[in-house]
Amino acid sequence: MPHQCTDCGQGFDDGSKEMLSGCPNCGGTKFQYKPAGASTVDTPAEPPEPPEPAVDSTVARTVGNAATAVRDLVSPSSTSASTEEDVPTSGSPTPAEDHAQASARSEVVSPDELPPAPDRFRSAPQMDDSAETTHSPLESKEEQDEATDISRNPSVSPPDSTASDEVASSADSEDDQPSRPGLSELRKELNDQFESIRVVEPGQYELNLMELYDREEYIIALQEDGKYTIQVPERWND
Amino acid sequence: MGLLTGLRSSISRAASTLFSDEEPKRIGIYGPPNAGKTTLSNRIVRDWTEHGDAVGPESHIPHETRRARRRENIEIERDGKTVTIDVVDTPGVTTKVDYTEFLEHDMEKEDAVRRSREATEGVAEAMHWLREDVDGVIYVLDSTTDPFTQVNTMLIGIIESQDLPVLILANKIDLEDSSVQRIRNAFPQHETIPLSALEGDNMDEVYDNIAEYFG
Repeated sequence: MPHQCTDCGQGFDDGSKEMLSGCPNCGGTKFQYKPAGASTVDTPAEPPEPPEPAVDSTVARTVGNAATAVRDLVSPSSTSASTEEDVPTSGSPTPAEDHAQASARSEVVSPDELPPAPDRFRSAPQMDDSAETTHSPLESKEEQDEATDISRNPSVSPPDSTASDEVASSADSEDDQPSRPGLSELRKELNDQFESIRVVEPGQYELNLMELYDREEYIIALQEDGKYTIQVPERWND
Repeated sequence: MGLLTGLRSSISRAASTLFSDEEPKRIGIYGPPNAGKTTLSNRIVRDWTEHGDAVGPESHIPHETRRARRRENIEIERDGKTVTIDVVDTPGVTTKVDYTEFLEHDMEKEDAVRRSREATEGVAEAMHWLREDVDGVIYVLDSTTDPFTQVNTMLIGIIESQDLPVLILANKIDLEDSSVQRIRNAFPQHETIPLSALEGDNMDEVYDNIAEYFG
């Protein structure tokens, strides 16, 4: 129960849907994140939500392409890494990019902590589940270093099924070919990306603008102790 | 009876046209930190409103504006026509916020950390406004700095993909290092207007373009 309502103390699992519409107990919208450590790793998260329709996929694609272009132009040395990025993805490249990156970032976690069954990656809704699970140890590790990826905490539905599939394929292919050349470059590139806001340490933040733009809910208050407030949209992906 | 119904519908049609004409366009002033967004907002408000209260404090320290601020019903007159806009001054958008940057400005660590946190919330808010709440964008760039950054390209890309009208302003032309051409080269697909919001240089052209793009 890593999420706790700060008003009534009610606990919620990672990926819990109830908290997305406010605390069912008291209606509170302020939650505190309490990393549960290794125990959460083995516990499968709540049933994930259905994939959101790909409303902004073209937006994300256009912008993502532009951003990649800039990155290539700004640092020519990263060209090879960008090419690598395209290898695991099969369909539209960019909306998945961030999620693929987020997923790949979780590769920092030792491989035996990753869910063993590749089937977990096959279907779209389970992607969020697996991403959440594989991400948890990283989170708790980061927590020890006073670093948290807070955007993970108000966990929301995966953006679209295309993205999910691509995350799946990227995760699979990386599992299959751990020693692929350029992987470290790719990983470095991917590690530069994350979801929404990353707290490096109190007072130091890294922001993922596309994620912030794409999200329907938005973070209206951050606190150093791991608390955060999100604005809950009136209608949640009807 | 038929006449009455016809009359009523024509009145309501006229009224709806009237109201839609009067509905002010909400223009978001976006750009990286320290580009002069608040200075521009203040100048627009001071030029076109009676009392001319400032939208917000201006500062050379980045992230002075950490909440989006709105001024409504600013009437800009051009060629005998009036364009009404709501101006939203937004926090500077960036991909990294680091409190140590503020320590250089004689700030205590605690204040710097708080400023940093508020600035981060501000970026989240600015991105949210961009998604939900603006009808057009004035994108302000500091013409003394390199415009070809990931933040600028990404934001302009989002704005383009939403088909929002956008005007690019090359600010700070009063400074020696200013290069308007560098900004034109970076975003050739958009109109770029040089100005100094601080000095009020070339504001006429800015207002002409605001009226044309957002009227």
